[in-house]
Amino acid sequence: MLFADMLGAVGVAAIRVLARPREFRLTSTVNQLDRVAWRAVPIILLITFLIGGIISQQGIFHFRKFGAELYSVDLVGILVLREIGVLIVAIMVAGRSGSSYTAEIGSMKMREEIDALRTMGFDPIEVLILPRILVLIIALPVLTFLGCMAALYGGGLVAWLYGGISPDIYMARLTEAISLTHFKVGMIKAPFMGLVIGVVACAEGLKVKGSAESLGLQTTASVVESIFLVIVLDGLFAIFFASIGM
Amino acid sequence: MAQGPVIKVRDLVVGFGDQIVLDHLSLDVKEGEILGVVGASGAGKSVLLRTIIGLLPRRQGSIEVLGVDLDKANEAERRALERRWGILFQQGALFSSLTVRENVQFPMRENLVLSPRLMDEMALAKLEMVGLAPDDMNKYPAELSGGMTKRVALARALALDPEIVFLDEPTSGLDPISGGDFDELIRTLQQTLGLTVFMVTHDLESLYTACDRVAVLADGKVVAEGPVEAMLECDHPWVQTYFKGKRGSLLADRQLSA
Repeated sequence: MLFADMLGAVGVAAIRVLARPREFRLTSTVNQLDRVAWRAVPIILLITFLIGGIISQQGIFHFRKFGAELYSVDLVGILVLREIGVLIVAIMVAGRSGSSYTAEIGSMKMREEIDALRTMGFDPIEVLILPRILVLIIALPVLTFLGCMAALYGGGLVAWLYGGISPDIYMARLTEAISLTHFKVGMIKAPFMGLVIGVVACAEGLKVKGSAESLGLQTTASVVESIFLVIVLDGLFAIFFASIGM
Repeated sequence: MAQGPVIKVRDLVVGFGDQIVLDHLSLDVKEGEILGVVGASGAGKSVLLRTIIGLLPRRQGSIEVLGVDLDKANEAERRALERRWGILFQQGALFSSLTVRENVQFPMRENLVLSPRLMDEMALAKLEMVGLAPDDMNKYPAELSGGMTKRVALARALALDPEIVFLDEPTSGLDPISGGDFDELIRTLQQTLGLTVFMVTHDLESLYTACDRVAVLADGKVVAEGPVEAMLECDHPWVQTYFKGKRGSLLADRQLSA
Protein backbone atom coordinates (compact mmCIF):
# COMPACT_ATOMS: atom_id res chain seq x y z
CA MET A 1 0.00 0.00 0.00
CA LEU A 2 1.39 3.35 -0.99
CA PHE A 3 1.69 6.27 1.39
CA ALA A 4 -1.02 8.18 -0.48
CA ASP A 5 -3.39 5.19 -0.51
CA MET A 6 -2.97 4.77 3.21
CA LEU A 7 -3.47 8.49 3.85
CA GLY A 8 -6.66 8.35 1.79
CA ALA A 9 -7.95 5.24 3.54
CA VAL A 10 -7.28 6.80 6.95
CA GLY A 11 -9.02 9.99 5.87
CA VAL A 12 -12.10 8.06 4.76
CA ALA A 13 -12.14 6.10 8.01
CA ALA A 14 -11.82 9.32 9.99
CA ILE A 15 -14.80 10.85 8.19
CA ARG A 16 -16.84 7.70 8.79
CA VAL A 17 -16.00 7.75 12.48
CA LEU A 18 -16.86 11.45 12.67
CA ALA A 19 -20.28 10.59 11.28
CA ARG A 20 -20.75 7.83 13.86
CA PRO A 21 -18.65 8.86 16.87
CA ARG A 22 -19.97 5.96 18.94
CA GLU A 23 -17.92 3.56 16.83
CA PHE A 24 -14.70 5.29 17.78
CA ARG A 25 -12.32 2.98 19.66
CA LEU A 26 -11.80 4.95 22.85
CA THR A 27 -10.31 2.13 24.95
CA SER A 28 -7.78 1.25 22.32
CA THR A 29 -6.88 4.91 21.85
CA VAL A 30 -6.31 5.48 25.57
CA ASN A 31 -4.21 2.33 25.75
CA GLN A 32 -2.08 3.47 22.83
CA LEU A 33 -1.76 6.94 24.31
CA ASP A 34 -0.33 5.40 27.45
CA ARG A 35 2.22 3.41 25.46
CA VAL A 36 3.19 6.03 22.90
CA ALA A 37 3.03 9.25 24.91
CA TRP A 38 3.16 8.62 28.64
CA ARG A 39 5.81 5.92 28.62
CA ALA A 40 7.97 7.86 26.17
CA VAL A 41 8.23 10.85 28.50
CA PRO A 42 11.33 9.77 30.50
CA ILE A 43 13.48 8.88 27.49
CA ILE A 44 12.37 11.98 25.56
CA LEU A 45 13.18 14.20 28.52
CA LEU A 46 16.58 12.60 28.96
CA ILE A 47 17.60 12.82 25.30
CA THR A 48 16.42 16.37 24.71
CA PHE A 49 18.02 17.44 28.00
CA LEU A 50 21.36 16.08 26.77
CA ILE A 51 20.97 17.61 23.30
CA GLY A 52 20.19 21.01 24.85
CA GLY A 53 23.30 20.71 27.01
CA ILE A 54 25.50 19.76 24.04
CA ILE A 55 24.28 22.64 21.89
CA SER A 56 24.88 25.02 24.75
CA GLN A 57 28.41 23.70 25.35
CA GLN A 58 29.31 23.90 21.67
CA GLY A 59 27.91 27.40 21.43
CA ILE A 60 29.87 28.63 24.42
CA PHE A 61 33.06 26.87 23.27
CA HIS A 62 33.06 28.42 19.81
CA PHE A 63 31.52 31.83 20.60
CA ARG A 64 34.04 32.30 23.39
CA LYS A 65 36.73 33.01 20.77
CA PHE A 66 34.83 36.16 19.89
CA GLY A 67 33.85 36.89 23.47
CA ALA A 68 30.24 36.28 22.51
CA GLU A 69 29.34 33.45 24.91
CA LEU A 70 26.03 35.05 25.67
CA TYR A 71 24.86 34.44 22.10
CA SER A 72 24.98 30.72 22.81
CA VAL A 73 21.69 31.31 24.65
CA ASP A 74 20.12 32.62 21.43
CA LEU A 75 21.51 29.62 19.63
CA VAL A 76 20.02 27.16 22.11
CA GLY A 77 16.67 28.92 22.31
CA ILE A 78 16.02 29.36 18.60
CA LEU A 79 17.51 26.07 17.46
CA VAL A 80 15.67 24.01 20.07
CA LEU A 81 12.27 25.63 19.68
CA ARG A 82 12.24 25.83 15.91
CA GLU A 83 14.05 22.72 14.77
CA ILE A 84 15.88 20.40 17.08
CA GLY A 85 13.15 19.84 19.69
CA VAL A 86 10.54 18.62 17.25
CA LEU A 87 13.05 16.76 15.07
CA ILE A 88 14.63 14.79 17.91
CA VAL A 89 11.21 13.92 19.30
CA ALA A 90 9.93 12.87 15.88
CA ILE A 91 12.98 10.71 15.23
CA MET A 92 12.71 9.12 18.68
CA VAL A 93 9.01 8.41 18.20
CA ALA A 94 9.61 7.01 14.72
CA GLY A 95 12.16 4.61 16.16
CA ARG A 96 10.19 3.80 19.26
CA SER A 97 6.51 3.76 18.28
CA GLY A 98 6.67 3.67 14.49
CA SER A 99 8.67 0.45 14.59
CA SER A 100 6.35 -1.09 17.14
CA TYR A 101 3.28 -0.16 15.05
CA THR A 102 4.80 -1.83 12.00
CA ALA A 103 5.79 -4.94 13.93
CA GLU A 104 2.40 -5.20 15.64
CA ILE A 105 0.32 -4.72 12.53
CA GLY A 106 2.71 -6.87 10.52
CA SER A 107 2.47 -9.79 12.89
CA MET A 108 -1.31 -9.43 13.01
CA LYS A 109 -1.24 -9.64 9.23
CA MET A 110 0.97 -12.74 9.37
CA ARG A 111 -1.29 -14.49 11.85
CA GLU A 112 -4.37 -13.71 9.72
CA GLU A 113 -5.78 -11.59 12.55
CA ILE A 114 -6.46 -8.77 10.11
CA ASP A 115 -8.30 -11.15 7.77
CA ALA A 116 -10.30 -12.42 10.74
CA LEU A 117 -11.31 -8.85 11.60
CA ARG A 118 -12.32 -8.17 8.04
CA THR A 119 -14.46 -11.30 7.79
CA MET A 120 -16.21 -10.38 11.04
CA GLY A 121 -17.35 -7.22 9.34
CA PHE A 122 -14.79 -4.74 10.67
CA ASP A 123 -12.64 -2.34 8.78
CA PRO A 124 -9.06 -2.89 10.02
CA ILE A 125 -8.23 0.72 9.14
CA GLU A 126 -10.98 1.94 11.45
CA VAL A 127 -10.26 -0.51 14.26
CA LEU A 128 -6.48 -0.77 14.29
CA ILE A 129 -4.94 2.04 12.32
CA LEU A 130 -7.04 5.15 12.89
CA PRO A 131 -6.64 5.09 16.71
CA ARG A 132 -2.89 4.58 16.37
CA ILE A 133 -2.38 7.45 13.96
CA LEU A 134 -4.62 9.73 16.00
CA VAL A 135 -2.57 8.95 19.08
CA LEU A 136 0.63 9.97 17.31
CA ILE A 137 -0.97 13.23 16.18
CA ILE A 138 -1.83 13.99 19.81
CA ALA A 139 1.38 12.65 21.32
CA LEU A 140 3.92 14.45 19.18
CA PRO A 141 2.99 18.03 20.15
CA VAL A 142 2.86 17.04 23.83
CA LEU A 143 6.22 15.30 23.68
CA THR A 144 7.69 18.13 21.62
CA PHE A 145 6.64 20.66 24.24
CA LEU A 146 8.15 18.57 27.04
CA GLY A 147 11.27 17.92 24.98
CA CYS A 148 11.79 21.62 24.25
CA MET A 149 11.48 22.49 27.92
CA ALA A 150 13.98 19.78 28.87
CA ALA A 151 16.41 20.95 26.20
CA LEU A 152 16.21 24.57 27.36
CA TYR A 153 16.75 23.36 30.92
CA GLY A 154 19.77 21.30 29.92
CA GLY A 155 21.15 24.23 27.91
CA GLY A 156 20.75 26.51 30.90
CA LEU A 157 22.42 24.09 33.26
CA VAL A 158 25.47 23.72 30.98
CA ALA A 159 25.60 27.48 30.44
CA TRP A 160 25.76 27.93 34.19
CA LEU A 161 28.21 25.15 35.07
CA TYR A 162 30.43 25.32 31.96
CA GLY A 163 30.03 28.87 30.70
CA GLY A 164 29.50 30.67 33.98
CA ILE A 165 26.24 32.23 32.76
CA SER A 166 24.02 32.42 35.83
CA PRO A 167 20.42 31.19 35.58
CA ASP A 168 19.11 34.74 35.96
CA ILE A 169 21.16 36.01 33.06
CA TYR A 170 20.27 32.91 31.01
CA MET A 171 16.56 33.49 31.55
CA ALA A 172 16.82 37.19 30.80
CA ARG A 173 18.79 36.56 27.60
CA LEU A 174 16.44 33.73 26.59
CA THR A 175 13.29 35.80 26.92
CA GLU A 176 14.94 38.47 24.79
CA ALA A 177 16.19 36.04 22.14
CA ILE A 178 13.10 33.96 21.56
CA SER A 179 9.54 34.87 20.79
CA LEU A 180 6.23 33.06 20.65
CA THR A 181 6.75 32.73 16.88
CA HIS A 182 9.73 30.40 17.35
CA PHE A 183 7.72 28.27 19.71
CA LYS A 184 4.77 28.16 17.31
CA VAL A 185 6.97 27.19 14.36
CA GLY A 186 8.13 24.11 16.23
CA MET A 187 4.73 23.15 17.59
CA ILE A 188 2.84 23.54 14.30
CA LYS A 189 5.13 20.97 12.70
CA ALA A 190 4.65 18.36 15.40
CA PRO A 191 1.19 16.95 14.53
CA PHE A 192 2.11 16.67 10.85
CA MET A 193 5.20 14.69 11.74
CA GLY A 194 3.03 12.42 13.90
CA LEU A 195 0.73 11.86 10.94
CA VAL A 196 3.63 11.01 8.63
CA ILE A 197 5.17 8.56 11.11
CA GLY A 198 1.84 6.86 11.76
CA VAL A 199 0.85 6.54 8.12
CA VAL A 200 4.24 5.16 7.11
CA ALA A 201 4.35 2.72 10.02
CA CYS A 202 0.87 1.34 9.40
CA ALA A 203 1.30 1.16 5.62
CA GLU A 204 4.54 -0.78 6.04
CA GLY A 205 2.87 -3.05 8.58
CA LEU A 206 0.15 -3.98 6.12
CA LYS A 207 2.79 -4.80 3.50
CA VAL A 208 4.16 -7.66 5.60
CA LYS A 209 3.87 -11.02 3.85
CA GLY A 210 3.98 -14.44 5.45
CA SER A 211 7.61 -14.65 6.49
CA ALA A 212 9.54 -13.47 9.53
CA GLU A 213 12.09 -11.96 7.19
CA SER A 214 9.53 -9.69 5.61
CA LEU A 215 8.44 -8.51 9.06
CA GLY A 216 12.03 -7.44 9.74
CA LEU A 217 12.39 -5.81 6.35
CA GLN A 218 9.19 -3.81 6.65
CA THR A 219 10.04 -2.68 10.18
CA THR A 220 13.40 -1.40 8.96
CA ALA A 221 11.74 0.24 5.97
CA SER A 222 9.19 1.86 8.25
CA VAL A 223 11.78 3.51 10.50
CA VAL A 224 14.09 4.58 7.69
CA GLU A 225 11.26 5.93 5.57
CA SER A 226 9.53 7.81 8.36
CA ILE A 227 12.74 9.46 9.59
CA PHE A 228 13.55 10.44 6.00
CA LEU A 229 10.08 11.87 5.44
CA VAL A 230 10.15 13.71 8.75
CA ILE A 231 13.36 15.46 7.72
CA VAL A 232 12.02 16.24 4.23
CA LEU A 233 8.85 17.60 5.80
CA ASP A 234 10.92 19.73 8.15
CA GLY A 235 12.73 21.16 5.15
CA LEU A 236 9.46 21.94 3.37
CA PHE A 237 8.18 23.64 6.50
CA ALA A 238 11.38 25.71 6.71
CA ILE A 239 10.75 26.95 3.16
CA PHE A 240 7.12 27.62 3.96
CA PHE A 241 7.82 29.53 7.18
CA ALA A 242 10.58 31.52 5.52
CA SER A 243 8.22 32.55 2.73
CA ILE A 244 5.54 33.74 5.14
CA GLY A 245 8.16 35.44 7.29
CA MET A 246 7.74 33.42 10.49
CA MET B 1 -34.65 -19.74 4.19
CA ALA B 2 -34.92 -20.11 0.45
CA GLN B 3 -34.29 -23.54 -0.95
CA GLY B 4 -31.31 -24.12 -3.17
CA PRO B 5 -27.63 -24.01 -2.47
CA VAL B 6 -26.38 -21.95 0.47
CA ILE B 7 -23.18 -21.15 -1.35
CA LYS B 8 -23.32 -20.88 -5.11
CA VAL B 9 -20.08 -20.36 -6.99
CA ARG B 10 -20.30 -19.94 -10.76
CA ASP B 11 -17.56 -19.69 -13.35
CA LEU B 12 -15.03 -18.36 -10.83
CA VAL B 13 -11.62 -17.21 -12.08
CA VAL B 14 -8.97 -16.15 -9.59
CA GLY B 15 -5.34 -15.49 -10.39
CA PHE B 16 -2.23 -13.72 -9.21
CA GLY B 17 -0.13 -12.11 -11.92
CA ASP B 18 -0.03 -14.46 -14.91
CA GLN B 19 -0.81 -17.47 -12.79
CA ILE B 20 -4.42 -18.64 -12.88
CA VAL B 21 -5.26 -20.52 -9.69
CA LEU B 22 -8.97 -21.12 -10.14
CA ASP B 23 -10.10 -21.52 -13.73
CA HIS B 24 -13.85 -21.26 -14.36
CA LEU B 25 -14.76 -23.15 -11.23
CA SER B 26 -18.36 -23.84 -10.21
CA LEU B 27 -19.45 -25.33 -6.93
CA ASP B 28 -22.60 -25.60 -4.80
CA VAL B 29 -22.87 -26.15 -1.09
CA LYS B 30 -26.25 -27.38 0.09
CA GLU B 31 -27.93 -26.35 3.27
CA GLY B 32 -26.96 -28.37 6.32
CA GLU B 33 -24.20 -30.42 4.75
CA ILE B 34 -20.51 -30.73 5.50
CA LEU B 35 -18.58 -30.27 2.29
CA GLY B 36 -14.92 -31.28 2.32
CA VAL B 37 -12.70 -29.61 -0.26
CA VAL B 38 -9.50 -31.50 -1.01
CA GLY B 39 -6.74 -31.09 -3.52
CA ALA B 40 -2.98 -31.11 -3.88
CA SER B 41 -1.01 -28.44 -2.08
CA GLY B 42 -1.27 -25.28 -4.11
CA ALA B 43 -4.37 -26.47 -5.94
CA GLY B 44 -6.22 -23.41 -4.66
CA LYS B 45 -8.33 -24.77 -1.80
CA SER B 46 -7.55 -21.92 0.55
CA VAL B 47 -7.75 -19.46 -2.32
CA LEU B 48 -11.27 -20.68 -3.03
CA LEU B 49 -12.26 -20.26 0.62
CA ARG B 50 -10.71 -16.81 0.86
CA THR B 51 -12.39 -15.73 -2.36
CA ILE B 52 -15.80 -16.86 -1.16
CA ILE B 53 -15.47 -14.86 2.06
CA GLY B 54 -14.30 -11.84 0.10
CA LEU B 55 -10.65 -11.62 1.13
CA LEU B 56 -9.31 -12.16 -2.36
CA PRO B 57 -10.46 -10.38 -5.51
CA ARG B 58 -11.77 -12.45 -8.39
CA ARG B 59 -11.36 -11.86 -12.07
CA GLN B 60 -14.57 -13.36 -13.28
CA GLY B 61 -17.61 -15.27 -12.12
CA SER B 62 -20.16 -14.83 -9.38
CA ILE B 63 -20.47 -15.93 -5.79
CA GLU B 64 -23.73 -16.08 -3.91
CA VAL B 65 -23.76 -16.80 -0.18
CA LEU B 66 -27.11 -17.25 1.59
CA GLY B 67 -28.79 -15.76 -1.45
CA VAL B 68 -26.70 -12.59 -1.38
CA ASP B 69 -24.62 -11.77 -4.42
CA LEU B 70 -21.36 -10.35 -3.12
CA ASP B 71 -21.00 -8.06 -6.11
CA LYS B 72 -24.34 -6.41 -5.67
CA ALA B 73 -24.39 -6.23 -1.89
CA ASN B 74 -23.93 -2.81 -0.34
CA GLU B 75 -21.96 -2.32 2.86
CA ALA B 76 -24.89 -2.89 5.20
CA GLU B 77 -25.89 -6.11 3.41
CA ARG B 78 -22.31 -7.32 3.50
CA ARG B 79 -22.02 -6.67 7.21
CA ALA B 80 -25.31 -8.45 7.80
CA LEU B 81 -24.00 -11.39 5.81
CA GLU B 82 -20.72 -11.42 7.72
CA ARG B 83 -22.73 -11.82 10.90
CA ARG B 84 -24.23 -15.00 9.52
CA TRP B 85 -20.96 -16.82 8.91
CA GLY B 86 -18.07 -17.88 11.07
CA ILE B 87 -14.57 -18.57 9.90
CA LEU B 88 -11.87 -20.75 11.39
CA PHE B 89 -8.53 -19.76 9.92
CA GLN B 90 -5.69 -22.19 9.43
CA GLN B 91 -3.65 -20.87 12.34
CA GLY B 92 -6.66 -19.86 14.38
CA ALA B 93 -6.04 -16.12 13.90
CA LEU B 94 -7.00 -15.41 17.50
CA PHE B 95 -6.39 -11.81 18.53
CA SER B 96 -3.15 -12.17 20.42
CA SER B 97 -3.70 -9.16 22.65
CA LEU B 98 -7.02 -10.48 23.98
CA THR B 99 -7.70 -13.38 26.34
CA VAL B 100 -9.64 -16.47 25.28
CA ARG B 101 -12.79 -15.03 26.82
CA GLU B 102 -12.37 -11.67 25.09
CA ASN B 103 -11.66 -13.39 21.81
CA VAL B 104 -14.91 -15.33 21.94
CA GLN B 105 -16.80 -12.24 23.11
CA PHE B 106 -15.31 -10.00 20.45
CA PRO B 107 -17.96 -10.61 17.77
CA MET B 108 -20.74 -10.35 20.39
CA ARG B 109 -19.40 -7.14 21.87
CA GLU B 110 -19.27 -5.47 18.50
CA ASN B 111 -22.54 -6.68 17.06
CA LEU B 112 -24.95 -7.05 19.96
CA VAL B 113 -25.86 -5.06 23.01
CA LEU B 114 -25.48 -7.41 25.96
CA SER B 115 -24.68 -7.06 29.62
CA PRO B 116 -21.20 -8.20 30.62
CA ARG B 117 -22.65 -11.01 32.71
CA LEU B 118 -24.68 -12.39 29.87
CA MET B 119 -21.67 -12.18 27.57
CA ASP B 120 -19.57 -14.09 30.11
CA GLU B 121 -22.19 -16.78 30.29
CA MET B 122 -22.44 -17.01 26.53
CA ALA B 123 -18.67 -17.18 26.14
CA LEU B 124 -18.54 -19.93 28.75
CA ALA B 125 -21.27 -21.86 26.97
CA LYS B 126 -19.48 -21.59 23.63
CA LEU B 127 -16.20 -22.69 25.15
CA GLU B 128 -17.84 -25.64 26.85
CA MET B 129 -19.44 -26.57 23.58
CA VAL B 130 -16.03 -26.96 21.96
CA GLY B 131 -14.68 -28.79 24.99
CA LEU B 132 -12.59 -26.23 26.85
CA ALA B 133 -12.36 -25.95 30.62
CA PRO B 134 -13.52 -22.72 32.33
CA ASP B 135 -9.95 -22.30 33.70
CA ASP B 136 -8.71 -21.61 30.19
CA MET B 137 -10.95 -18.55 29.80
CA ASN B 138 -8.39 -16.07 31.03
CA LYS B 139 -5.39 -17.41 29.16
CA TYR B 140 -3.82 -15.58 26.26
CA PRO B 141 -3.57 -17.25 22.83
CA ALA B 142 0.21 -17.58 23.22
CA GLU B 143 -0.35 -19.87 26.23
CA LEU B 144 -2.56 -22.31 24.35
CA SER B 145 -1.61 -25.54 22.59
CA GLY B 146 -2.37 -26.00 18.89
CA GLY B 147 -5.50 -28.02 19.53
CA MET B 148 -6.81 -25.56 22.10
CA THR B 149 -6.15 -22.65 19.75
CA LYS B 150 -8.29 -24.33 17.10
CA ARG B 151 -11.04 -24.99 19.60
CA VAL B 152 -11.07 -21.38 20.79
CA ALA B 153 -11.08 -20.21 17.18
CA LEU B 154 -14.05 -22.47 16.53
CA ALA B 155 -15.82 -21.09 19.60
CA ARG B 156 -15.23 -17.59 18.26
CA ALA B 157 -16.48 -18.60 14.81
CA LEU B 158 -19.65 -19.89 16.51
CA ALA B 159 -20.07 -16.85 18.76
CA LEU B 160 -22.89 -15.28 16.79
CA ASP B 161 -24.63 -18.61 16.03
CA PRO B 162 -23.78 -18.52 12.34
CA GLU B 163 -25.52 -20.46 9.62
CA ILE B 164 -22.34 -21.29 7.72
CA VAL B 165 -18.95 -22.17 9.12
CA PHE B 166 -15.82 -22.04 6.97
CA LEU B 167 -12.99 -24.20 8.21
CA ASP B 168 -9.50 -23.88 6.75
CA GLU B 169 -7.64 -27.11 7.50
CA PRO B 170 -9.17 -27.57 10.94
CA THR B 171 -7.18 -30.70 11.74
CA SER B 172 -3.79 -29.76 10.29
CA GLY B 173 -1.09 -29.69 12.93
CA LEU B 174 -3.13 -31.76 15.37
CA ASP B 175 -2.17 -35.23 16.50
CA PRO B 176 -4.46 -37.99 15.15
CA ILE B 177 -6.43 -38.24 18.40
CA SER B 178 -7.13 -34.50 18.68
CA GLY B 179 -7.81 -34.45 14.96
CA GLY B 180 -10.34 -37.24 15.36
CA ASP B 181 -11.95 -35.43 18.29
CA PHE B 182 -12.17 -32.29 16.23
CA ASP B 183 -13.90 -34.10 13.36
CA GLU B 184 -16.39 -35.54 15.77
CA LEU B 185 -16.95 -32.13 17.34
CA ILE B 186 -17.69 -30.58 13.97
CA ARG B 187 -20.05 -33.42 13.11
CA THR B 188 -21.90 -33.04 16.45
CA LEU B 189 -22.16 -29.29 16.12
CA GLN B 190 -23.43 -29.59 12.57
CA GLN B 191 -26.10 -32.07 13.66
CA THR B 192 -27.22 -30.15 16.75
CA LEU B 193 -27.05 -26.62 15.36
CA GLY B 194 -27.95 -27.39 11.75
CA LEU B 195 -24.83 -25.70 10.43
CA THR B 196 -23.61 -25.75 6.89
CA VAL B 197 -19.89 -26.45 6.92
CA PHE B 198 -17.40 -25.65 4.19
CA MET B 199 -14.19 -27.43 5.12
CA VAL B 200 -10.85 -27.25 3.35
CA THR B 201 -8.74 -30.19 4.40
CA HIS B 202 -5.80 -32.47 3.72
CA ASP B 203 -6.93 -35.04 6.15
CA LEU B 204 -8.34 -38.24 4.63
CA GLU B 205 -9.72 -39.29 7.97
CA SER B 206 -11.78 -36.09 8.20
CA LEU B 207 -13.28 -36.86 4.81
CA TYR B 208 -14.42 -40.28 5.93
CA THR B 209 -15.65 -39.38 9.39
CA ALA B 210 -16.99 -35.85 9.05
CA CYS B 211 -17.91 -34.99 5.49
CA ASP B 212 -21.19 -35.60 3.71
CA ARG B 213 -19.76 -34.69 0.36
CA VAL B 214 -16.31 -34.18 -1.07
CA ALA B 215 -15.20 -31.84 -3.82
CA VAL B 216 -11.79 -32.45 -5.36
CA LEU B 217 -9.91 -29.47 -6.72
CA ALA B 218 -7.33 -29.98 -9.47
CA ASP B 219 -6.17 -27.89 -12.41
CA GLY B 220 -8.23 -24.97 -11.10
CA LYS B 221 -11.51 -26.84 -11.38
CA VAL B 222 -13.67 -29.20 -9.39
CA VAL B 223 -12.75 -32.53 -10.99
CA ALA B 224 -14.88 -34.77 -8.80
CA GLU B 225 -17.79 -34.14 -6.49
CA GLY B 226 -19.89 -36.49 -4.40
CA PRO B 227 -19.82 -38.72 -1.33
CA VAL B 228 -16.47 -40.24 -0.36
CA GLU B 229 -17.44 -43.68 -1.68
CA ALA B 230 -18.00 -42.21 -5.14
CA MET B 231 -14.47 -40.84 -5.12
CA LEU B 232 -13.06 -44.34 -5.25
CA GLU B 233 -14.70 -44.80 -8.64
CA CYS B 234 -13.50 -41.53 -10.11
CA ASP B 235 -10.79 -41.98 -12.72
CA HIS B 236 -9.00 -38.64 -12.47
CA PRO B 237 -5.33 -39.53 -11.81
CA TRP B 238 -4.90 -37.30 -8.78
CA VAL B 239 -8.13 -38.55 -7.20
CA GLN B 240 -6.97 -42.11 -7.83
CA THR B 241 -3.61 -41.61 -6.11
CA TYR B 242 -5.14 -39.65 -3.28
CA PHE B 243 -7.93 -42.02 -2.36
CA LYS B 244 -6.27 -45.25 -3.45
CA GLY B 245 -2.77 -44.52 -2.24
CA LYS B 246 -1.39 -46.46 0.70
CA ARG B 247 -3.08 -44.47 3.42
CA GLY B 248 -6.21 -43.95 1.38
CA SER B 249 -6.88 -47.64 0.73
CA LEU B 250 -6.20 -48.54 4.33
CA LEU B 251 -8.83 -46.10 5.49
CA ALA B 252 -11.26 -47.04 2.76
CA ASP B 253 -11.05 -50.72 3.71
CA ARG B 254 -11.57 -49.96 7.33
CA GLN B 255 -14.49 -47.61 6.72
CA LEU B 256 -16.26 -49.78 4.20
CA SER B 257 -15.91 -52.99 6.20
CA ALA B 258 -17.04 -51.27 9.40
